[in-house]
Amino acid sequence: MASRAREFFIGVGDTAMNVARQVGGIVILFYEVVRALLPPRLDLRELMRNMLKMGYMSLPIIALTAFFTGGLMVIQSGIYVKQFNASALVGWGSGYAVFREIGPILIGLMFSGRVGANNTAELGTMTVTEQIDGLRALAIEPIRYLIAPRVVAMMLSLLCLTIIGDLIALGGGLLFSKLILNIEYSTFYYSLVDNLTPADFIQGLVKSVVFGTSIALTSCYFGITVRGGAVGVGRAVNAAVVSAAVSIMLLDFAVTYLLG
Amino acid sequence: MNPRRRIKRAIERVGARTLDFLSAALFLWSVFAHTLVGTIRGKRPKGEVVKQMYIIGNKSLVFVGVTLGFIGMVMIYQTCLQFGRITGDLSRIGHEFAKILVHDFAPTLTAMMLSTRVGAGIAAEVGSMKVTEQVDALRMSGVAPIDYLIVPRFIACVVMMVVLSIFGAVVAFVLGGLTAANAFGVNTHTYFDLSGVNFTHLGLGLTKAVAYGMAIPIISGYCGLRAQGSSEGVGSATTAAVIGSSFAVIVLDFIISAFGLIVLGEGL
Repeated sequence: MASRAREFFIGVGDTAMNVARQVGGIVILFYEVVRALLPPRLDLRELMRNMLKMGYMSLPIIALTAFFTGGLMVIQSGIYVKQFNASALVGWGSGYAVFREIGPILIGLMFSGRVGANNTAELGTMTVTEQIDGLRALAIEPIRYLIAPRVVAMMLSLLCLTIIGDLIALGGGLLFSKLILNIEYSTFYYSLVDNLTPADFIQGLVKSVVFGTSIALTSCYFGITVRGGAVGVGRAVNAAVVSAAVSIMLLDFAVTYLLG
Repeated sequence: MNPRRRIKRAIERVGARTLDFLSAALFLWSVFAHTLVGTIRGKRPKGEVVKQMYIIGNKSLVFVGVTLGFIGMVMIYQTCLQFGRITGDLSRIGHEFAKILVHDFAPTLTAMMLSTRVGAGIAAEVGSMKVTEQVDALRMSGVAPIDYLIVPRFIACVVMMVVLSIFGAVVAFVLGGLTAANAFGVNTHTYFDLSGVNFTHLGLGLTKAVAYGMAIPIISGYCGLRAQGSSEGVGSATTAAVIGSSFAVIVLDFIISAFGLIVLGEGL
Protein backbone atom coordinates (compact mmCIF):
# COMPACT_ATOMS: atom_id res chain seq x y z
CA MET A 1 0.00 0.00 0.00
CA ALA A 2 2.72 2.42 1.00
CA SER A 3 4.79 1.61 -2.06
CA ARG A 4 1.78 2.19 -4.29
CA ALA A 5 1.17 5.61 -2.77
CA ARG A 6 4.84 6.36 -3.21
CA GLU A 7 4.68 5.32 -6.87
CA PHE A 8 1.66 7.55 -7.38
CA PHE A 9 3.43 10.60 -5.98
CA ILE A 10 6.54 9.84 -8.01
CA GLY A 11 4.36 9.69 -11.12
CA VAL A 12 2.70 13.01 -10.35
CA GLY A 13 6.06 14.64 -9.68
CA ASP A 14 7.54 13.23 -12.89
CA THR A 15 4.64 14.55 -14.95
CA ALA A 16 4.91 17.97 -13.35
CA MET A 17 8.65 18.11 -13.97
CA ASN A 18 8.13 17.07 -17.59
CA VAL A 19 5.51 19.74 -18.21
CA ALA A 20 7.70 22.35 -16.55
CA ARG A 21 10.68 21.29 -18.66
CA GLN A 22 8.67 21.49 -21.87
CA VAL A 23 7.11 24.86 -21.10
CA GLY A 24 10.50 26.21 -20.11
CA GLY A 25 12.09 24.86 -23.27
CA ILE A 26 9.40 26.44 -25.44
CA VAL A 27 9.78 29.81 -23.72
CA ILE A 28 13.57 29.70 -24.14
CA LEU A 29 13.10 28.80 -27.81
CA PHE A 30 10.76 31.80 -28.17
CA TYR A 31 13.39 34.05 -26.66
CA GLU A 32 16.08 32.69 -28.96
CA VAL A 33 13.88 33.14 -32.04
CA VAL A 34 13.08 36.72 -31.08
CA ARG A 35 16.76 37.41 -30.52
CA ALA A 36 17.63 35.89 -33.88
CA LEU A 37 15.05 38.17 -35.51
CA LEU A 38 16.44 41.33 -33.86
CA PRO A 39 17.77 43.03 -35.93
CA PRO A 40 15.61 41.51 -38.69
CA ARG A 41 18.00 39.44 -40.76
CA LEU A 42 15.67 36.93 -42.30
CA ASP A 43 16.45 34.61 -45.16
CA LEU A 44 13.71 35.83 -47.48
CA ARG A 45 13.97 32.94 -49.93
CA GLU A 46 13.63 30.43 -47.14
CA LEU A 47 10.67 32.40 -45.78
CA MET A 48 8.89 32.43 -49.14
CA ARG A 49 9.57 28.72 -49.67
CA ASN A 50 8.12 27.92 -46.25
CA MET A 51 5.08 30.13 -46.75
CA LEU A 52 4.37 28.45 -50.08
CA LYS A 53 4.60 25.02 -48.49
CA MET A 54 2.79 25.85 -45.26
CA GLY A 55 0.24 28.41 -46.35
CA TYR A 56 -0.58 27.95 -49.99
CA MET A 57 -0.50 24.15 -49.91
CA SER A 58 -2.88 24.06 -46.92
CA LEU A 59 -5.49 26.11 -48.73
CA PRO A 60 -7.66 23.19 -49.95
CA ILE A 61 -8.04 21.49 -46.56
CA ILE A 62 -8.56 24.82 -44.77
CA ALA A 63 -11.14 25.90 -47.34
CA LEU A 64 -13.07 22.63 -47.00
CA THR A 65 -12.97 22.82 -43.20
CA ALA A 66 -14.14 26.42 -43.22
CA PHE A 67 -16.94 25.67 -45.65
CA PHE A 68 -18.36 22.89 -43.48
CA THR A 69 -17.84 24.97 -40.33
CA GLY A 70 -19.99 27.75 -41.78
CA GLY A 71 -22.66 25.18 -42.56
CA LEU A 72 -22.45 23.75 -39.05
CA MET A 73 -22.94 27.15 -37.45
CA VAL A 74 -26.04 27.68 -39.57
CA ILE A 75 -27.41 24.28 -38.58
CA GLN A 76 -26.84 24.97 -34.88
CA SER A 77 -28.51 28.36 -35.03
CA GLY A 78 -31.20 26.86 -37.26
CA ILE A 79 -32.63 25.08 -34.22
CA TYR A 80 -33.42 28.47 -32.69
CA VAL A 81 -34.67 29.82 -35.98
CA LYS A 82 -37.23 27.03 -36.13
CA GLN A 83 -38.22 27.48 -32.49
CA PHE A 84 -38.45 31.25 -32.26
CA ASN A 85 -38.78 32.10 -35.96
CA ALA A 86 -35.77 34.38 -35.67
CA SER A 87 -34.41 34.19 -39.22
CA ALA A 88 -33.07 37.73 -38.93
CA LEU A 89 -30.49 36.59 -36.40
CA VAL A 90 -28.83 33.73 -38.31
CA GLY A 91 -26.26 35.90 -40.07
CA TRP A 92 -25.37 37.60 -36.83
CA GLY A 93 -25.12 34.36 -34.86
CA SER A 94 -23.01 32.44 -37.31
CA GLY A 95 -20.85 35.45 -38.15
CA TYR A 96 -20.15 36.15 -34.48
CA ALA A 97 -19.28 32.53 -33.75
CA VAL A 98 -17.11 32.14 -36.86
CA PHE A 99 -15.19 35.40 -36.50
CA ARG A 100 -14.53 35.28 -32.79
CA GLU A 101 -14.19 31.61 -31.87
CA ILE A 102 -14.89 28.74 -34.20
CA GLY A 103 -13.02 30.14 -37.21
CA PRO A 104 -9.64 30.75 -35.53
CA ILE A 105 -9.88 27.62 -33.34
CA LEU A 106 -10.84 25.11 -36.01
CA ILE A 107 -8.53 26.57 -38.63
CA GLY A 108 -5.77 26.66 -36.02
CA LEU A 109 -6.35 23.01 -35.11
CA MET A 110 -6.33 21.92 -38.75
CA PHE A 111 -3.21 24.01 -39.35
CA SER A 112 -1.53 22.43 -36.35
CA GLY A 113 -2.43 18.98 -37.66
CA ARG A 114 -1.19 19.59 -41.16
CA VAL A 115 1.66 22.09 -40.88
CA GLY A 116 2.73 21.78 -37.25
CA ALA A 117 2.86 17.99 -37.32
CA ASN A 118 4.65 18.02 -40.66
CA ASN A 119 7.17 20.53 -39.36
CA THR A 120 7.88 18.40 -36.29
CA ALA A 121 8.32 15.32 -38.45
CA GLU A 122 10.69 17.16 -40.78
CA LEU A 123 12.81 18.73 -38.03
CA GLY A 124 12.68 15.47 -36.10
CA THR A 125 14.00 13.53 -39.08
CA MET A 126 16.76 16.10 -39.47
CA THR A 127 17.64 15.75 -35.79
CA VAL A 128 17.60 11.95 -35.84
CA THR A 129 19.81 11.81 -38.93
CA GLU A 130 22.14 14.36 -37.28
CA GLN A 131 21.67 16.98 -39.98
CA ILE A 132 21.19 19.68 -37.34
CA ASP A 133 24.52 18.80 -35.75
CA GLY A 134 25.93 18.97 -39.26
CA LEU A 135 24.67 22.54 -39.64
CA ARG A 136 26.24 23.45 -36.33
CA ALA A 137 29.52 21.91 -37.45
CA LEU A 138 29.42 24.17 -40.51
CA ALA A 139 28.99 27.18 -38.18
CA ILE A 140 25.40 27.78 -39.32
CA GLU A 141 23.09 28.61 -36.45
CA PRO A 142 20.08 26.26 -36.65
CA ILE A 143 17.85 28.78 -34.86
CA ARG A 144 18.44 31.57 -37.35
CA TYR A 145 18.65 29.44 -40.47
CA LEU A 146 16.00 26.78 -39.75
CA ILE A 147 13.69 27.81 -36.95
CA ALA A 148 13.18 31.58 -37.28
CA PRO A 149 11.95 31.51 -40.92
CA ARG A 150 9.54 28.70 -40.03
CA VAL A 151 8.11 30.56 -37.05
CA VAL A 152 7.55 33.74 -39.07
CA ALA A 153 6.15 31.76 -42.00
CA MET A 154 3.67 29.86 -39.81
CA MET A 155 2.49 33.04 -38.12
CA LEU A 156 1.89 34.84 -41.41
CA SER A 157 0.37 31.78 -43.13
CA LEU A 158 -2.12 31.15 -40.36
CA LEU A 159 -3.12 34.83 -40.38
CA CYS A 160 -3.77 34.73 -44.14
CA LEU A 161 -5.52 31.36 -43.94
CA THR A 162 -7.81 32.62 -41.17
CA ILE A 163 -8.83 35.65 -43.23
CA ILE A 164 -9.59 33.46 -46.24
CA GLY A 165 -11.20 30.76 -44.09
CA ASP A 166 -13.51 33.24 -42.34
CA LEU A 167 -14.78 34.46 -45.69
CA ILE A 168 -15.27 30.93 -47.00
CA ALA A 169 -17.09 29.96 -43.80
CA LEU A 170 -19.46 32.86 -44.26
CA GLY A 171 -19.98 31.79 -47.86
CA GLY A 172 -20.79 28.28 -46.65
CA GLY A 173 -23.16 29.73 -44.06
CA LEU A 174 -24.88 31.82 -46.70
CA LEU A 175 -25.34 28.84 -48.98
CA PHE A 176 -26.56 26.39 -46.34
CA SER A 177 -28.92 28.90 -44.73
CA LYS A 178 -30.60 29.16 -48.12
CA LEU A 179 -30.57 25.40 -48.73
CA ILE A 180 -31.55 24.10 -45.29
CA LEU A 181 -33.44 26.95 -43.63
CA ASN A 182 -34.63 28.76 -46.76
CA ILE A 183 -33.37 32.16 -45.63
CA GLU A 184 -32.84 34.79 -48.34
CA TYR A 185 -29.24 35.81 -49.07
CA SER A 186 -30.04 39.46 -48.38
CA THR A 187 -31.51 38.66 -44.93
CA PHE A 188 -28.33 36.82 -44.00
CA TYR A 189 -26.14 39.60 -45.34
CA TYR A 190 -27.90 42.48 -43.57
CA SER A 191 -28.15 40.54 -40.33
CA LEU A 192 -24.38 40.08 -40.48
CA VAL A 193 -23.43 43.59 -41.54
CA ASP A 194 -25.80 45.43 -39.19
CA ASN A 195 -24.87 43.57 -36.01
CA LEU A 196 -21.14 42.90 -36.26
CA THR A 197 -18.29 45.37 -35.90
CA PRO A 198 -14.74 45.19 -37.25
CA ALA A 199 -13.66 44.51 -33.65
CA ASP A 200 -15.23 41.03 -33.88
CA PHE A 201 -13.21 40.26 -36.99
CA ILE A 202 -10.00 41.73 -35.56
CA GLN A 203 -10.25 39.71 -32.35
CA GLY A 204 -10.21 36.56 -34.48
CA LEU A 205 -7.15 37.79 -36.36
CA VAL A 206 -5.28 38.56 -33.14
CA LYS A 207 -6.09 35.02 -32.02
CA SER A 208 -4.81 33.56 -35.27
CA VAL A 209 -1.46 35.36 -34.92
CA VAL A 210 -1.11 34.12 -31.33
CA PHE A 211 -2.11 30.57 -32.29
CA GLY A 212 0.27 30.57 -35.26
CA THR A 213 3.21 31.56 -33.07
CA SER A 214 2.39 28.97 -30.43
CA ILE A 215 1.90 26.19 -33.01
CA ALA A 216 5.23 27.10 -34.59
CA LEU A 217 7.11 27.16 -31.29
CA THR A 218 5.69 23.88 -29.96
CA SER A 219 6.24 22.04 -33.23
CA CYS A 220 9.83 23.30 -33.58
CA TYR A 221 10.62 22.55 -29.94
CA PHE A 222 9.43 18.94 -30.15
CA GLY A 223 11.13 18.56 -33.54
CA ILE A 224 14.60 19.55 -32.37
CA THR A 225 14.43 17.58 -29.12
CA VAL A 226 13.61 14.19 -30.74
CA ARG A 227 15.49 11.12 -29.55
CA GLY A 228 15.52 7.59 -30.82
CA GLY A 229 14.84 6.94 -34.50
CA ALA A 230 11.53 6.48 -36.28
CA VAL A 231 9.66 5.65 -33.06
CA GLY A 232 10.92 8.87 -31.49
CA VAL A 233 9.76 10.93 -34.46
CA GLY A 234 6.26 9.49 -34.21
CA ARG A 235 6.15 10.20 -30.48
CA ALA A 236 7.43 13.74 -30.99
CA VAL A 237 4.74 14.48 -33.59
CA ASN A 238 2.13 13.20 -31.16
CA ALA A 239 3.47 15.36 -28.32
CA ALA A 240 3.66 18.40 -30.61
CA VAL A 241 0.04 18.26 -31.79
CA VAL A 242 -1.22 17.63 -28.27
CA SER A 243 0.63 20.58 -26.78
CA ALA A 244 -0.35 22.77 -29.71
CA ALA A 245 -4.02 21.93 -29.02
CA VAL A 246 -3.68 22.66 -25.31
CA SER A 247 -1.86 25.93 -25.95
CA ILE A 248 -4.53 26.99 -28.46
CA MET A 249 -7.26 26.52 -25.86
CA LEU A 250 -5.33 28.27 -23.07
CA LEU A 251 -4.32 31.21 -25.25
CA ASP A 252 -7.85 31.46 -26.64
CA PHE A 253 -9.14 32.04 -23.14
CA ALA A 254 -6.35 34.51 -22.37
CA VAL A 255 -6.93 36.57 -25.53
CA THR A 256 -10.71 36.58 -25.06
CA TYR A 257 -10.31 37.70 -21.48
CA LEU A 258 -7.79 40.44 -22.31
CA LEU A 259 -9.63 41.85 -25.34
CA GLY A 260 -13.14 41.45 -23.91
CA MET B 1 7.11 19.83 -76.39
CA ASN B 2 4.44 19.49 -78.99
CA PRO B 3 0.82 20.01 -77.90
CA ARG B 4 -0.17 16.44 -78.58
CA ARG B 5 2.32 15.04 -76.10
CA ARG B 6 1.40 17.66 -73.57
CA ILE B 7 -2.28 16.67 -73.74
CA LYS B 8 -1.31 13.05 -73.45
CA ARG B 9 0.76 13.74 -70.38
CA ALA B 10 -2.06 15.74 -68.75
CA ILE B 11 -4.50 12.89 -69.35
CA GLU B 12 -2.00 10.45 -67.90
CA ARG B 13 -1.62 12.57 -64.80
CA VAL B 14 -5.38 12.76 -64.26
CA GLY B 15 -5.62 9.01 -64.72
CA ALA B 16 -2.79 8.32 -62.27
CA ARG B 17 -4.39 10.58 -59.67
CA THR B 18 -7.74 8.87 -60.10
CA LEU B 19 -6.21 5.43 -59.76
CA ASP B 20 -4.30 6.51 -56.65
CA PHE B 21 -7.45 7.91 -55.13
CA LEU B 22 -9.50 4.82 -55.95
CA SER B 23 -6.92 2.41 -54.56
CA ALA B 24 -6.63 4.51 -51.38
CA ALA B 25 -10.42 4.54 -50.97
CA LEU B 26 -10.55 0.79 -51.54
CA PHE B 27 -7.84 0.19 -48.94
CA LEU B 28 -9.61 2.43 -46.42
CA TRP B 29 -12.83 0.53 -47.04
CA SER B 30 -11.08 -2.83 -46.64
CA VAL B 31 -9.54 -1.70 -43.31
CA PHE B 32 -13.01 -0.66 -42.15
CA ALA B 33 -14.65 -3.91 -43.28
CA HIS B 34 -11.92 -6.09 -41.78
CA THR B 35 -12.14 -4.21 -38.50
CA LEU B 36 -15.90 -4.67 -38.31
CA VAL B 37 -15.62 -8.37 -39.10
CA GLY B 38 -12.79 -8.75 -36.58
CA THR B 39 -14.84 -6.97 -33.92
CA ILE B 40 -17.82 -9.27 -34.43
CA ARG B 41 -15.81 -12.48 -34.64
CA GLY B 42 -14.03 -11.50 -31.44
CA LYS B 43 -10.58 -12.89 -32.19
CA ARG B 44 -8.23 -10.54 -30.39
CA PRO B 45 -5.29 -10.79 -28.01
CA LYS B 46 -6.25 -11.08 -24.35
CA GLY B 47 -6.12 -7.95 -22.23
CA GLU B 48 -5.28 -5.79 -25.22
CA VAL B 49 -8.64 -3.96 -25.25
CA VAL B 50 -8.32 -3.00 -21.59
CA LYS B 51 -4.77 -1.82 -22.17
CA GLN B 52 -5.85 0.32 -25.12
CA MET B 53 -8.76 1.70 -23.11
CA TYR B 54 -6.25 2.78 -20.49
CA ILE B 55 -3.99 4.39 -23.10
CA ILE B 56 -6.81 6.08 -25.03
CA GLY B 57 -9.11 6.91 -22.14
CA ASN B 58 -7.33 7.38 -18.82
CA LYS B 59 -4.29 9.03 -20.33
CA SER B 60 -6.46 11.57 -22.21
CA LEU B 61 -8.44 12.55 -19.14
CA VAL B 62 -6.33 15.55 -18.15
CA PHE B 63 -5.98 16.68 -21.76
CA VAL B 64 -9.73 16.54 -22.43
CA GLY B 65 -10.51 18.11 -19.06
CA VAL B 66 -8.19 21.08 -19.61
CA THR B 67 -9.21 21.79 -23.21
CA LEU B 68 -12.96 21.30 -22.78
CA GLY B 69 -12.88 23.30 -19.54
CA PHE B 70 -11.31 26.26 -21.25
CA ILE B 71 -13.68 25.97 -24.20
CA GLY B 72 -16.64 26.03 -21.84
CA MET B 73 -15.29 29.13 -20.12
CA VAL B 74 -14.61 30.96 -23.39
CA MET B 75 -17.99 30.08 -24.88
CA ILE B 76 -19.92 31.26 -21.85
CA TYR B 77 -17.80 34.41 -21.74
CA GLN B 78 -18.44 35.27 -25.39
CA THR B 79 -22.15 34.43 -25.21
CA CYS B 80 -22.70 36.44 -22.04
CA LEU B 81 -20.84 39.37 -23.58
CA GLN B 82 -22.98 39.40 -26.70
CA PHE B 83 -26.28 38.62 -25.00
CA GLY B 84 -25.64 41.19 -22.31
CA ARG B 85 -25.17 43.81 -25.02
CA ILE B 86 -28.29 42.89 -26.99
CA THR B 87 -30.95 41.57 -24.61
CA GLY B 88 -29.46 41.93 -21.14
CA ASP B 89 -31.20 38.74 -20.04
CA LEU B 90 -28.71 36.05 -19.01
CA SER B 91 -31.09 33.76 -17.14
CA ARG B 92 -31.49 31.24 -19.98
CA ILE B 93 -27.75 30.89 -20.71
CA GLY B 94 -27.28 27.68 -18.72
CA HIS B 95 -30.50 26.14 -20.03
CA GLU B 96 -29.46 26.63 -23.68
CA PHE B 97 -25.77 25.86 -23.12
CA ALA B 98 -26.59 22.49 -21.56
CA LYS B 99 -28.64 21.52 -24.62
CA ILE B 100 -26.09 22.55 -27.25
CA LEU B 101 -23.28 21.02 -25.20
CA VAL B 102 -25.02 17.64 -25.01
CA HIS B 103 -26.11 17.36 -28.61
CA ASP B 104 -23.14 18.94 -30.32
CA PHE B 105 -20.23 20.72 -28.70
CA ALA B 106 -19.14 18.15 -26.14
CA PRO B 107 -18.83 15.12 -28.47
CA THR B 108 -17.46 17.15 -31.39
CA LEU B 109 -14.81 19.08 -29.51
CA THR B 110 -13.77 16.02 -27.50
CA ALA B 111 -13.39 14.18 -30.79
CA MET B 112 -11.35 17.02 -32.30
CA MET B 113 -9.04 16.80 -29.30
CA LEU B 114 -8.85 13.02 -29.40
CA SER B 115 -8.16 12.97 -33.11
CA THR B 116 -4.97 14.90 -32.42
CA ARG B 117 -3.95 12.80 -29.42
CA VAL B 118 -5.27 9.34 -30.17
CA GLY B 119 -5.17 9.62 -33.96
CA ALA B 120 -1.55 10.70 -33.95
CA GLY B 121 -0.73 8.05 -31.34
CA ILE B 122 -2.28 5.17 -33.29
CA ALA B 123 -0.70 6.25 -36.57
CA ALA B 124 2.72 6.70 -34.97
CA GLU B 125 2.57 3.31 -33.27
CA VAL B 126 1.21 1.32 -36.20
CA GLY B 127 3.39 3.28 -38.63
CA SER B 128 6.60 2.52 -36.75
CA MET B 129 5.62 -1.15 -36.62
CA LYS B 130 5.02 -1.04 -40.36
CA VAL B 131 8.35 0.55 -41.27
CA THR B 132 10.30 -1.75 -38.94
CA GLU B 133 8.57 -4.69 -40.69
CA GLN B 134 6.82 -5.90 -37.56
CA VAL B 135 3.51 -5.85 -39.43
CA ASP B 136 4.95 -8.16 -42.07
CA ALA B 137 6.28 -10.38 -39.29
CA LEU B 138 2.78 -10.61 -37.83
CA ARG B 139 1.39 -11.59 -41.22
CA MET B 140 4.18 -14.17 -41.63
CA SER B 141 3.25 -15.84 -38.38
CA GLY B 142 -0.34 -16.17 -39.50
CA VAL B 143 -1.88 -13.32 -37.53
CA ALA B 144 -4.01 -10.78 -39.40
CA PRO B 145 -2.47 -7.38 -38.55
CA ILE B 146 -5.88 -5.70 -38.49
CA ASP B 147 -7.28 -8.20 -35.96
CA TYR B 148 -4.22 -7.79 -33.80
CA LEU B 149 -3.54 -4.05 -34.10
CA ILE B 150 -6.65 -2.16 -35.18
CA VAL B 151 -9.56 -4.09 -33.64
CA PRO B 152 -8.58 -3.55 -29.95
CA ARG B 153 -7.98 0.14 -30.59
CA PHE B 154 -11.29 0.38 -32.44
CA ILE B 155 -13.32 -1.10 -29.57
CA ALA B 156 -11.42 0.90 -26.95
CA CYS B 157 -11.81 4.16 -28.88
CA VAL B 158 -15.59 3.76 -29.39
CA VAL B 159 -16.16 3.11 -25.68
CA MET B 160 -13.77 5.78 -24.47
CA MET B 161 -15.10 8.42 -26.86
CA VAL B 162 -18.54 8.11 -25.27
CA VAL B 163 -17.08 8.22 -21.75
CA LEU B 164 -14.80 11.18 -22.47
CA SER B 165 -17.60 13.11 -24.20
CA ILE B 166 -19.73 12.83 -21.08
CA PHE B 167 -16.77 13.83 -18.93
CA GLY B 168 -15.99 16.77 -21.24
CA ALA B 169 -19.60 17.96 -21.18
CA VAL B 170 -19.63 17.97 -17.39
CA VAL B 171 -16.31 19.83 -17.13
CA ALA B 172 -17.28 22.43 -19.74
CA PHE B 173 -20.70 22.99 -18.17
CA VAL B 174 -19.38 23.40 -14.63
CA LEU B 175 -16.48 25.68 -15.55
CA GLY B 176 -18.78 27.70 -17.81
CA GLY B 177 -21.14 28.08 -14.86
CA LEU B 178 -18.34 29.31 -12.62
CA THR B 179 -17.33 31.86 -15.28
CA ALA B 180 -20.90 33.08 -15.67
CA ALA B 181 -21.31 33.40 -11.92
CA ASN B 182 -17.99 35.15 -11.31
CA ALA B 183 -17.66 37.43 -14.33
CA PHE B 184 -21.32 38.23 -15.05
CA GLY B 185 -23.09 37.58 -11.76
CA VAL B 186 -25.45 34.95 -13.16
CA ASN B 187 -27.32 33.11 -10.38
CA THR B 188 -25.94 29.57 -10.09
CA HIS B 189 -29.41 28.15 -9.45
CA THR B 190 -30.73 29.51 -12.75
CA TYR B 191 -27.55 28.44 -14.58
CA PHE B 192 -27.44 24.80 -13.48
CA ASP B 193 -30.73 23.95 -15.13
CA LEU B 194 -30.79 20.67 -17.02
CA SER B 195 -34.55 20.62 -17.64
CA GLY B 196 -34.05 21.51 -21.32
CA VAL B 197 -32.04 18.38 -22.11
CA ASN B 198 -34.20 15.50 -23.29
CA PHE B 199 -33.56 12.09 -24.78
CA THR B 200 -33.41 13.47 -28.32
CA HIS B 201 -30.40 15.60 -27.42
CA LEU B 202 -28.80 12.73 -25.60
CA GLY B 203 -29.40 10.32 -28.47
CA LEU B 204 -27.98 12.74 -31.04
CA GLY B 205 -24.92 13.41 -28.89
CA LEU B 206 -24.26 9.71 -28.31
CA THR B 207 -24.72 8.93 -32.01
CA LYS B 208 -22.09 11.53 -32.80
CA ALA B 209 -19.71 10.22 -30.15
CA VAL B 210 -19.98 6.65 -31.46
CA ALA B 211 -19.53 7.79 -35.07
CA TYR B 212 -16.39 9.78 -34.21
CA GLY B 213 -15.11 6.95 -32.05
CA MET B 214 -15.37 4.61 -35.04
CA ALA B 215 -13.89 7.03 -37.57
CA ILE B 216 -10.74 8.06 -35.69
CA PRO B 217 -9.08 4.62 -35.18
CA ILE B 218 -10.03 3.43 -38.68
CA ILE B 219 -8.54 6.47 -40.42
CA SER B 220 -5.44 6.61 -38.23
CA GLY B 221 -4.88 2.86 -38.48
CA TYR B 222 -5.22 3.12 -42.24
CA CYS B 223 -2.63 5.93 -42.32
CA GLY B 224 -0.29 3.91 -40.12
CA LEU B 225 -0.60 0.77 -42.25
CA ARG B 226 0.23 2.79 -45.36
CA ALA B 227 3.44 4.23 -43.88
CA GLN B 228 6.55 3.69 -45.99
CA GLY B 229 10.23 4.45 -45.68
CA SER B 230 11.67 5.22 -42.27
CA SER B 231 11.21 8.05 -39.78
CA GLU B 232 10.04 10.37 -42.57
CA GLY B 233 7.28 7.95 -43.49
CA VAL B 234 6.12 7.67 -39.89
CA GLY B 235 6.02 11.45 -39.60
CA SER B 236 3.93 11.91 -42.70
CA ALA B 237 1.59 9.05 -41.71
CA THR B 238 1.02 10.78 -38.36
CA THR B 239 0.28 14.08 -40.06
CA ALA B 240 -2.13 12.43 -42.45
CA ALA B 241 -3.88 10.71 -39.55
CA VAL B 242 -4.42 13.94 -37.62
CA ILE B 243 -5.73 15.79 -40.66
CA GLY B 244 -7.86 12.91 -41.89
CA SER B 245 -9.52 12.20 -38.57
CA SER B 246 -10.12 15.88 -37.70
CA PHE B 247 -11.67 16.43 -41.09
CA ALA B 248 -13.77 13.27 -40.74
CA VAL B 249 -15.07 14.60 -37.42
CA ILE B 250 -16.13 17.89 -38.99
CA VAL B 251 -17.82 16.22 -41.96
CA LEU B 252 -19.59 13.61 -39.78
CA ASP B 253 -20.75 16.37 -37.44
CA PHE B 254 -22.14 18.26 -40.42
CA ILE B 255 -23.94 15.21 -41.82
CA ILE B 256 -25.42 14.02 -38.51
CA SER B 257 -26.42 17.54 -37.45
CA ALA B 258 -28.10 18.31 -40.77
CA PHE B 259 -29.87 14.97 -40.64
CA GLY B 260 -30.97 15.68 -37.06
CA LEU B 261 -32.24 19.14 -37.90
CA ILE B 262 -34.20 17.98 -40.94
CA VAL B 263 -35.67 14.83 -39.37
CA LEU B 264 -36.20 15.96 -35.77
CA GLY B 265 -36.81 19.64 -36.48
CA GLU B 266 -38.49 21.36 -33.54
CA GLY B 267 -37.74 18.50 -31.15
CA LEU B 268 -34.28 19.91 -30.51
